[in-house]
Amino acid sequence: MDKGRKHASPSAPSFRAIPQILKDLRSLRVCVFHPHDQDGEGLTRQLERIGCQVQAFWPPLPEPPDGTDLVFIAINPNMINHDFAWCDGEEAPPVIAVVTYENPTIIEAVLRIGAKGVVASPVRSFGLLSALVLARELTIDLKGQRKRIARLEAKLSGIRVITEAQEILCFQRRITKDDAYRLIRDQAMSKRVTTEEIASSIINANEILSYKN
Amino acid sequence: MSQTEPIKVGILYSETGVTSGIESSQLLGTLFAIEEINQSGGINGREITPVRYDPQSDPTRYRALAERLVSIDNVKVIFGCYMSNTRKAVIPVVERWNRILFYATLYEGFEFSNNLIYTGAAPNQNSVQLADFMMATFGARVYLVGSDYIYPYESNRIMTDLVMQRQGGETLGKRYVPLDATERDFTKVIADIKEQQPDFIFSTVVGDSTKYFYRAYAEAGLDPKKIPIASLTTCEVEVAQMGASVAAGHFTSSPYFQSIDSPANHACLAKFRSHFGEQAEPNASWEAAYFQVHLFANAMRAAGSDDIDALMPELLGAEFLAPQGRVRVEPSNHHTCLYPRIGRANAKGQFTIVRESTRAVSPDPYLVTHSLGDWTLALNSLEA
Repeated sequence: MDKGRKHASPSAPSFRAIPQILKDLRSLRVCVFHPHDQDGEGLTRQLERIGCQVQAFWPPLPEPPDGTDLVFIAINPNMINHDFAWCDGEEAPPVIAVVTYENPTIIEAVLRIGAKGVVASPVRSFGLLSALVLARELTIDLKGQRKRIARLEAKLSGIRVITEAQEILCFQRRITKDDAYRLIRDQAMSKRVTTEEIASSIINANEILSYKN
Repeated sequence: MSQTEPIKVGILYSETGVTSGIESSQLLGTLFAIEEINQSGGINGREITPVRYDPQSDPTRYRALAERLVSIDNVKVIFGCYMSNTRKAVIPVVERWNRILFYATLYEGFEFSNNLIYTGAAPNQNSVQLADFMMATFGARVYLVGSDYIYPYESNRIMTDLVMQRQGGETLGKRYVPLDATERDFTKVIADIKEQQPDFIFSTVVGDSTKYFYRAYAEAGLDPKKIPIASLTTCEVEVAQMGASVAAGHFTSSPYFQSIDSPANHACLAKFRSHFGEQAEPNASWEAAYFQVHLFANAMRAAGSDDIDALMPELLGAEFLAPQGRVRVEPSNHHTCLYPRIGRANAKGQFTIVRESTRAVSPDPYLVTHSLGDWTLALNSLEA
């Protein structure tokens, strides 16, 4: 503890609204793939204490039940070759690995299933809530970023197409780049399609018209 | 081992340091229960021998003394801790050695350990009730004042969340003061409260500095009828420290008050006074410290051993007729079912109980979002 005398500070932690992710804990559907031993039971009980809706299975199902928000998977040495193919799916729920060993074989398996968190076995109650929240947060972030990247990629390739079309128009019609863009935009508006579509039509047409045997 | 040998138990309550006032009362509650048990034949004929140290409100000392208790004194069970940082210091010790810690203090929740029994209130057993009562009676514009550590942070988060659920709910200010704050630390706080004019103040100031806060409030001429202080930790001990006239009119939410009018409580108080006189003001933490020793003794009578593996199954689900009412250890989370009450400090230095739950409320230490209203019907109004 800080022994120095501080005066009343107005700001020790600031109050933000409680993140939705914490409010959602009680409606969270958690699937546990862990042997029904003391450790598995401890894990399930702590998840229940937190207030999640828990279903435990062993051996693991071919894939978690529909609507599962989060999956705990015990990575133990005799399950090392189990194929958790569903983990690769884009919409797959986040996975937290429960590990008994920390050797490269096990860690490779943890990476293979794309785990977003790890808890060590024997499972302690302390730390589970943080691991769970963090794994969900990471997954939500990741999904958001994937979407954003897809949008940006589409946009970027759109810009490339438009630039190419502008160059074609500049050359063919002897107009400026700005005029070329205006022409593309006016066409897009009157035909009610995107500027990218008009631009690709121009490129395609140009390829055909300038085809030389 | 001979079955007449005394049973050693460890006790860690601070007799010095910033929380010595309240922890000394917990110590006496514990010693009182041990004496009661020993006088009625001990545990299956075996006497309980307390081994106690003074950890001086310091987490480092708590950890070192807990280590000493298990490794040198070889106790299997420890009663103790008040502030959360002292409990966090002892948990690794009891977990590593597989011993039991009985924790008799309200705290901020979000914890479970196989090696703990929690007999104080979780937030769903005191904070929600206090927020609802204060907002219904005085309004939803709150000012938060607390000691600078984890319990006030989390309690204030819960209070803010509850206040925001109400129309017009607003946090007008929040201030943290050092744990060893004195009257001058509160000067600016009180000035700001005067300016902001909240409907009520939520205080999570703990320990001996509590009296300075209430005194600064009184000296500034603020009126508890208009801007009362609501607290979870200001109990009979702090009231005695600040003086009845300073405390009068302010509110506290707690499962136990000395003023509970029941035969069990009257009998317990009379017996305590005949053994210990006026050495301590009985309060909620004293009561929990008292009844948890009985929970232990009953469990050990049934188990025949103080090993955790034998004792814990007997403790989980155990009931005891405590001064507050019949309490029960909830097996799923090791916390205790308790009776929420709201008290208003009166001129005699006691609390007039204005709201009371008729049924024990189950502990829910991992509840993030508390909601107003879902328990109100269970609290009876005791006001004329």
